[in-house]
Amino acid sequence: MKLIGQLLSGSVISLEVFFLTLIMSLPLGFLVALGRMSKVKVVRVLVDTYIQIMRGTPLLLQLLFFYFAPFYIFNASLPRFASAILAFVLNYAAYFGEIYRSGLQALDVGQKEAAKVLGFSKSYTFFHIVLPQVVKNVLPSVGNEVVTLVKDTALASTIGVVELFRLAQTASSREFSTMPIFIAGVFYFIMNYLVSRVFDILESKMQY
Amino acid sequence: MSDIMVKAEHISKSFGANEVLKDISFTLEKGNVLSIIGPSGSGKSTLLRIITQLEKADGGSLYIDGKPLFQDKEGKAVYASTKEMHSIILKTGLVFQSFNLFPHFTVMRNITEAQWAVLSRSREEAEDRAIQVLKEMNLLDKADSYPSELSGGQKQRVSIARALVMDPKILFFDEPTSALDPELTRQVLSVIKDLSERDMTMVVVTHEMNFARNISDWAIFMENGYIVEEGAPDALFVDPREERTKAFISSFKE
Repeated sequence: MKLIGQLLSGSVISLEVFFLTLIMSLPLGFLVALGRMSKVKVVRVLVDTYIQIMRGTPLLLQLLFFYFAPFYIFNASLPRFASAILAFVLNYAAYFGEIYRSGLQALDVGQKEAAKVLGFSKSYTFFHIVLPQVVKNVLPSVGNEVVTLVKDTALASTIGVVELFRLAQTASSREFSTMPIFIAGVFYFIMNYLVSRVFDILESKMQY
Repeated sequence: MSDIMVKAEHISKSFGANEVLKDISFTLEKGNVLSIIGPSGSGKSTLLRIITQLEKADGGSLYIDGKPLFQDKEGKAVYASTKEMHSIILKTGLVFQSFNLFPHFTVMRNITEAQWAVLSRSREEAEDRAIQVLKEMNLLDKADSYPSELSGGQKQRVSIARALVMDPKILFFDEPTSALDPELTRQVLSVIKDLSERDMTMVVVTHEMNFARNISDWAIFMENGYIVEEGAPDALFVDPREERTKAFISSFKE
C-alpha cells in the first residue's frame, strides 16, 4: 500500500509533465505549421530544419541535450524539471506542427472558394469554415501523439526527474522485485485508457 | 438605357505559358440567361472564376452592374480597391460543380451563415429568407440535416439556395450538373429553369445542350480560349455558322 502511495505521488509529477507539455506544444505546433507553410523562404527553411532535427533524433538525446548543453555553453543549467518540459514541448510541437499542416493542406480548396464567393472575410473563413474542419480531421492523429506522450514522460527519469517510472525503478531495486515496475505499467495504461476515452468523446462530438 | 449586368472587354488570362483566355468580350443584359458551351479546357470555367474573383485576369476590363472590377491600363488588368471588389462580389453568386457546401454546418446554417456574417441580417431575418427559399426548392424537411446526409441533387439545390439568399444580381453556374446522374440532373435543371422564368440574370456553363438551348437568351461557344461563335440559341444550336461549333454540337447528338 505504501508502494502504491509512492507511485501515486510520482504519477502526479508525470501528469504535470504531461499537461504542461500539452498546454504549450499544442498551440506552439500551430506556429510551427504556419512557419512551415510561410511564404518567406528563410522562415520555411528554419522551421523545416527544426522539424527535421526534432523528428530525426531520439527524444532521449534531446532531453540530455537540454539538460547538459546550457551547462557547457553558459556554465549554468536549468532545473531538471524545466529542461524536461522544454525538450518535450519542442519535440511535440514539431510533431503537432506537421499534423496541423497536413490537416490544413488536406482541406478541399473549394471550401475557401465557396466562402470567398459568399463574401466571408479571410479571418471569418479561417475560424468558422477552415478551423473546425481541420480540427476534426487532425483529431485522430493528435490523439495518437497524446497517447505516446503519456508513455514518453517516463523518459524524463533519465535526467533525474523523479516521476512515476523513476520511483518505480528505485522501489524495484530497493525491494528486489519487478512488481513496482509492473504496477507503474498499469498506471500508464489507466492514464492512456482515459486519454483514449476523451479523444473518442471528442471525435463523436465532432461527427457530421 | 439598357441595364448591362456584365460587360467583358478583351479579357486575357494565362497560367504560366498556357494562355487559357485570349481576348474574351461579351455583354449580358439584366434578366437574360447566357449559356457558355465548349469542350473541356476551352476556358469556360476560368472565365467564370475571373468574374467571381476566384482568379485574376491578366488583361482586359470587366464591369459588373456598371462597376469596374478591373480595367485595362496599357495591356494590364488593373483591379479596383479591395473594398470595391468586396461590394462587387456581393453582386455575384456562384454555384460550383462540386457543390462545396460546408460539411460541418447543417443545411440551415449553410444558408444563413453568410446572411448574418456578411450582410448583417438578423438571425430571424436570415432564417425567414432561408425557409422561404428551402420551401421553393422542396427542401424544408432537410433544414436540420448535414450535407453528408443529402443526395447529390439535394446538395446542389442547397448550394443554389445558399447563393440565392444573398440576393445576388447575377448568378453563375459552373457545370452545375456534371457531378450528377440524369435523374438528379433533371431536379437541378428545373430549379435553374424556374429562376430563369423569374428573370434572374444568369450565366450557365454546361454540357446539357438541350437545356442550354431552352433556357438561354444568348449562347456562346468557346474553344481554346476564344469565343468561336455566339448568337441566339436557336441559331447557335441548330444552325451554327462555324465548322468547329457544328462539330462540337453534333458530338452531343447520337
